[in-house]
Amino acid sequence: MAEFEPKIVAFLCNWCAYRGADLAGTSRFHYPANVRVVRFMCSGSIDPVYVLEALLNGADGVLIAGCHLGNCHYQDGNYKAKHRVQVLKKILGQVGVDEDRVWLRWIDASEGKLFSDTIHQMVAEIRAKGPNPMRKPWKVWQDTVGFHLLEIESKLKK
Amino acid sequence: MKVETVLKAEEGDILGTLRSFLGKLLEKGIVDYLLVPQEFSHGRTLAQTLVKDPSHLDKANPFSPVMPMNSAAIVSQLTGDKPKKKLGVVLKPCEIRALVELVKLGQASLENLIIIGTDCLGTYEVEGYAKLMDEMEGTPEEKGARILADMRRAIVEPGATSLPISLRQACKMCNSFTPVLADITLGLFEEENGVFVSLESEMAEKLGLEVKEAPGRQEIITKLVESRTEIREQVFAGFREKMGSIVDFSDCLATCTRCYACSSACPICYCRVCFFRTDTFEPESERYFRWVEREDPLRMPTEILLYHLTRLNHVAASCVGCGMCESACPRELPLTTLFQAVGEGVQQALKYVPGRSLEEEIPLASFREAET
Repeated sequence: MAEFEPKIVAFLCNWCAYRGADLAGTSRFHYPANVRVVRFMCSGSIDPVYVLEALLNGADGVLIAGCHLGNCHYQDGNYKAKHRVQVLKKILGQVGVDEDRVWLRWIDASEGKLFSDTIHQMVAEIRAKGPNPMRKPWKVWQDTVGFHLLEIESKLKK
Repeated sequence: MKVETVLKAEEGDILGTLRSFLGKLLEKGIVDYLLVPQEFSHGRTLAQTLVKDPSHLDKANPFSPVMPMNSAAIVSQLTGDKPKKKLGVVLKPCEIRALVELVKLGQASLENLIIIGTDCLGTYEVEGYAKLMDEMEGTPEEKGARILADMRRAIVEPGATSLPISLRQACKMCNSFTPVLADITLGLFEEENGVFVSLESEMAEKLGLEVKEAPGRQEIITKLVESRTEIREQVFAGFREKMGSIVDFSDCLATCTRCYACSSACPICYCRVCFFRTDTFEPESERYFRWVEREDPLRMPTEILLYHLTRLNHVAASCVGCGMCESACPRELPLTTLFQAVGEGVQQALKYVPGRSLEEEIPLASFREAET
């Protein structure tokens, strides 16, 4: 059997984390293709129901990333995210779900490297955890994009 | 300044004494209207009533042994538009806590409101109480007084009851059964033949009450808090032991029909239109067939886990432990244990106690830039 490939859904805020992911791309920082990015206008608009729906439908991990505290484009959106995720994780932990499948990170538009590192780290940790027990059978699509990127990277190095 | 006194019950008629006390609040103009539970159906059940005329209090029982709903929702409806009339509301401690949360959520107002909080002896399920009244002999008044006396005995001596029914699950493990933030407190936790009253000295003067000491109250409360906390911790420990994985969680909700009875009964679930009652959760048949292609068999109705987990997210921080969800559940799911156990974890993490004070902000509704 092939090695378990975790599926990670990333909810990124438009102004910082999504720009960070963009920068990771333009700077050619490689990151695993296990991540599926959904762009939000603000981390404060990420309702826990989205995270739950992702987990219940087969995501092995959910990353919520926004601007650093104090840097929110809408003043206090990331504080909302912080409180909601804190509560969500506490609840998940108490009903038998590994709360470390949900990550909250602050990633700036200038931190492409941090985005790439975060994804590397998260994929490794979730891979070690194994499949999400909340997960329903879900069609896995091949990580062709990732391999493609690797190929380009190795060509560039040559 | 708050003063304390004891209303002596003439010929042991506690309810009569309380009724005349409540009547005086209306007569002396301390309140214009009074929200108070009264007996219906020959005492087989009780429900809240709004009263203006003191002579209409002849079936009133502030220590109602049943709780058809959490009255904080009624107060929210009565005070939502900030009325100019003075309204007195007789509430149980968990109803006051829910009201405090609703005030902080902008769903109710304390302006012109006088909260008459009662010590809570616990409540029975509505069906169980009606059955008990049917089976007992005597007039409705005699039966009511006998049950009240028995419930008081059980407070002084935890567990000592001669009644064949037990309290609601939430009441069995409730350790905050005395009102906080009440303008007038009515208590039954002391001497057998009277009612403890705590109120503003001004009000006591207006009512012509003599200030007397009420000894022994604190002692009984401390003892009961201890025994109830022990029960509470046992129930929570049992719950936590059972919640090994998400499979255990779905097992405990296996018979849920997503009828929304729990959210309708919950005083904290205040949304006018619940997300789960929108078209999002009534998809066309093709959607279900597509889902079953990838998840076979598909649990019907769908989205049970999403519903309860989302409700936990919305409610856990403010859950006051009234247990209305469990009483309302037609499938008798252990909802009050679930919400209170999970709620306790969330509340401890946030250092928040729902219903304790009006100044403490609800963590999910307050954001400080100074936070790190």
